[in-house]
Amino acid sequence: MTLTLPPGLSGVVSPDGLAPEEELSDYAVDGLTPRAVIRPESREAVAEVLAWADSEGLKVSPRGGGTQAALGNAPAGLDIVLDLTRLNRVLDYEPADLTATVEAGITLQAFQRELAQGGKMAGLEAPLRDRATVGGIISVNASGPLRRSYGLPRDSLIGIAVVGPDGTETRAGGRVVKNVTGYDLNKLYAGSLGSLGVIVEASFKLATLPAESGAVTGGFVSIDTAASAAGDLLHQVYGPQGVHVVNASAARHLGIVSEGLDGAGADGGVVIAYASGRARAVQRFLSQSAQLLREHGGSDVSVLPRSEAAELLRQHTDLGWRPDDMPRLSVKLNLPPASVAAALSRLPMLAVPEQPAVLADPGFGALRMLWWEGDDDGERDAATVRSLREMAVSLGGSAVVEHCPVELKTRIDVWGDFPNEVEIMRRIKRNLDPGGTLNPGRCMGKI
Amino acid sequence: MPSHDFLSLLQDIVGEEDVISHPEDLLVYEYDGSIDTAIPRAVVFPTSAEEVSRVLALAHREGVPVVGRGSGTGLSGGAIAPEGGIQIAFTRMNHILDVDVANRTATVEPGVINLDLDTHARKFGLRYAPDPSSQRACSLGGNIAENAGGPHCLAYGTTTNHVLALETVLEDGTIVNLGGAARETPGYDLRGVFVGSEGTFGIATKILVRLLPVPESVKTFLGIFPDIDSACTAVSAVIGHGIVPAALEMIDALSIKAVQSVTDAGYPDDAGAVLLVELEGLTEEVEDVTHEVESALWDTGATDVRTAQDPQDRERLWVGRKTAFGAFGAIAPNYYLVDGVVPRTRLAQVLRQVDHISEKYGITIANVFHAGDGNLHPCMLFDAREPGVVERSAQAAQELMEYCVAEGGTLSGEHGIGLEKKEFMPLVFTDGDMERMKAVRDAFAPGNRLNPGKIFPDGVPMPAAPHHAGPGMYI
Repeated sequence: MTLTLPPGLSGVVSPDGLAPEEELSDYAVDGLTPRAVIRPESREAVAEVLAWADSEGLKVSPRGGGTQAALGNAPAGLDIVLDLTRLNRVLDYEPADLTATVEAGITLQAFQRELAQGGKMAGLEAPLRDRATVGGIISVNASGPLRRSYGLPRDSLIGIAVVGPDGTETRAGGRVVKNVTGYDLNKLYAGSLGSLGVIVEASFKLATLPAESGAVTGGFVSIDTAASAAGDLLHQVYGPQGVHVVNASAARHLGIVSEGLDGAGADGGVVIAYASGRARAVQRFLSQSAQLLREHGGSDVSVLPRSEAAELLRQHTDLGWRPDDMPRLSVKLNLPPASVAAALSRLPMLAVPEQPAVLADPGFGALRMLWWEGDDDGERDAATVRSLREMAVSLGGSAVVEHCPVELKTRIDVWGDFPNEVEIMRRIKRNLDPGGTLNPGRCMGKI
Repeated sequence: MPSHDFLSLLQDIVGEEDVISHPEDLLVYEYDGSIDTAIPRAVVFPTSAEEVSRVLALAHREGVPVVGRGSGTGLSGGAIAPEGGIQIAFTRMNHILDVDVANRTATVEPGVINLDLDTHARKFGLRYAPDPSSQRACSLGGNIAENAGGPHCLAYGTTTNHVLALETVLEDGTIVNLGGAARETPGYDLRGVFVGSEGTFGIATKILVRLLPVPESVKTFLGIFPDIDSACTAVSAVIGHGIVPAALEMIDALSIKAVQSVTDAGYPDDAGAVLLVELEGLTEEVEDVTHEVESALWDTGATDVRTAQDPQDRERLWVGRKTAFGAFGAIAPNYYLVDGVVPRTRLAQVLRQVDHISEKYGITIANVFHAGDGNLHPCMLFDAREPGVVERSAQAAQELMEYCVAEGGTLSGEHGIGLEKKEFMPLVFTDGDMERMKAVRDAFAPGNRLNPGKIFPDGVPMPAAPHHAGPGMYI
């Protein structure tokens, strides 16, 4: 049954700020269709909607571009989707300060375009940058192939404003790059899936747009030899921004063609390395990296100029998130960097379905596996996740299910099990959202 | 009230030798960067997380507040014992447990001295980037509590950007591991919010930090300016060009005189201000940037630009910067430090305001600070025996903090709020903001027994006794 806003609220939410009934199903999360989709145009409206929902016991899911709306455990309830894309202004940008403040609903693409006008950029990456919003990126701690250099959103976020479930807007941090005034709640909100407050504003420290960028790719007969070459590359003094090892299946998805790879068939691997910065440094990186890959037996070693490297980077960032090409199951392992190679070599021994696309980031410590093929089989998928999780934990890491059939979410916690920490997380949730209004059930421990 | 045999119960846990409670032994633990305030009831020196856990469990049962103490270099009163409380000192938990070269990490106990970790890491071609000026004395545990900064945080971020995992003990003695060996960990980022919580969430007993490779090329130079205004313009020019050096520090005329009176750092006595600039990276990169930075310094009025010729020369320039605060003891016996941060484009006008405030209140103010990230350290120097001067310096500090906040800045960049700045928190945060922060604290420490009375205003005025300037103090 759809919701009717109380008379008081219709004053702050404009008529077209309420999605028509026939659109509600477009906003379903894990099969739950919201009873209303509200698109506030002001923070006051966000505050009033939340205060009303909280007092009525209605469950609210904040939403940006919806690019990772299904990340997390299944919602324990969903009445209202709060679509924040109309809060999309740049509030403050002083290039010489290397900081900027924006409303949460601005897309990453629009934000970076604005910053580029002043020669700057934010160290943020996210799939589908034309839709992903800054608030959403913070909420899911989105990252991309350059995470080794940029870190996660938590690392460049310097200030935040959130609206709590009672409608009170609060701040933490500020607009300066160094700040120990009060607790660093920026860190807490980053990756909290909107479950502790609705992010309405964020400030970031910025970097200068690089003068030059490029990439190098090379094919290898096996994923292990590719991993070994990547490991060597990572220990060179001209350290790249991102080094990746992908298997043949992932390489095909990324449009990388390599004769050597074709010869090696499914066992082959490709190394991709990205660099940006000052022209001379990037040139040195590209030529020395290409040489190193050849020395390791790489075939079809290619140096990609700026535009081709940018296109590969975009494909690489988006893989596994495009709505027209969503994998059936996608799992990300977070590992100590030096354990990525070990994980890659153990994968064939695990009882997991064959032929995933594998994308490893040994410089940061991440390994994604994507399966497009196969039928939904909850029992088998749960076994796959458990098997990967067991390996990841034994290597000092964790395994997160990024995308999966809804049914699997009834069998597992998509974030993993960390009972000791979860108790504190539960208390934080209880203290900041006592009514369980915001995205209930979706965080670790089904909080 | 704690039971009468509380001390003997503490001794049962850590051993008789490792509890001190005689007033004369406790004197050295009564202050933190020289705030005269509270003598702890006892100081305990545990050697393991298990002992820390048992001490906390005991204190919890007895209702005794507890504060962890590293080296007491914080300067905001963070390590001062709460009333009736005990201190846990980490002097004996000072071992570097592991350096993992492949993962570029180190596991350390909280009492390890910052510089010792860096020195050890360099044997493996690695380094620990956050480098507070007190790095010869301060401990990693204290760095975690305060989210310590340092000159090289300009390029590499502060402590929080380098901590991967923490073994912590909560107020009831529960041991909880936060974060992990992977750079990304699922769930709420408890490790991230713990760093900088000034000892109020828990006590870290083991720390996993990231190390960075030693760069291929380093270049350090000194830009000499006729006045602080032109030096500020130079800072804006460098950052405005999009150059973020590894470090960009400013030292004003008064500080130069103080430094040169205790050590020859090679700073010219007649300069109005000097900028200490360090560039790091690939050889090609450093060469290109050096050229651009030098041009920016000359263009903004530098009278000379001197480059360190060798590592000894570089070390000498840095020793001057890092011992400046201790050298203030030669100017006046007492100080009050403001740790405000402002957007970098406002530096020149804020420093003009510092000058104005110095004149208005008749207080000498020296400036040595992290110019590159806008982190000021105006240091009011005075002799507390002069009637009314303590009150005047406090008023001057308040006016200055209000100005920083009005210019888009904040109260503290690296020293923390502690006792000293807590009454100024409402300049930056609303009651609602602070209630939310406390709600997060209560999730870690529902009894508020860890370092209570810090950070948030409670109407209890700041300690009236002034701080003593002199060697062993760092900013």
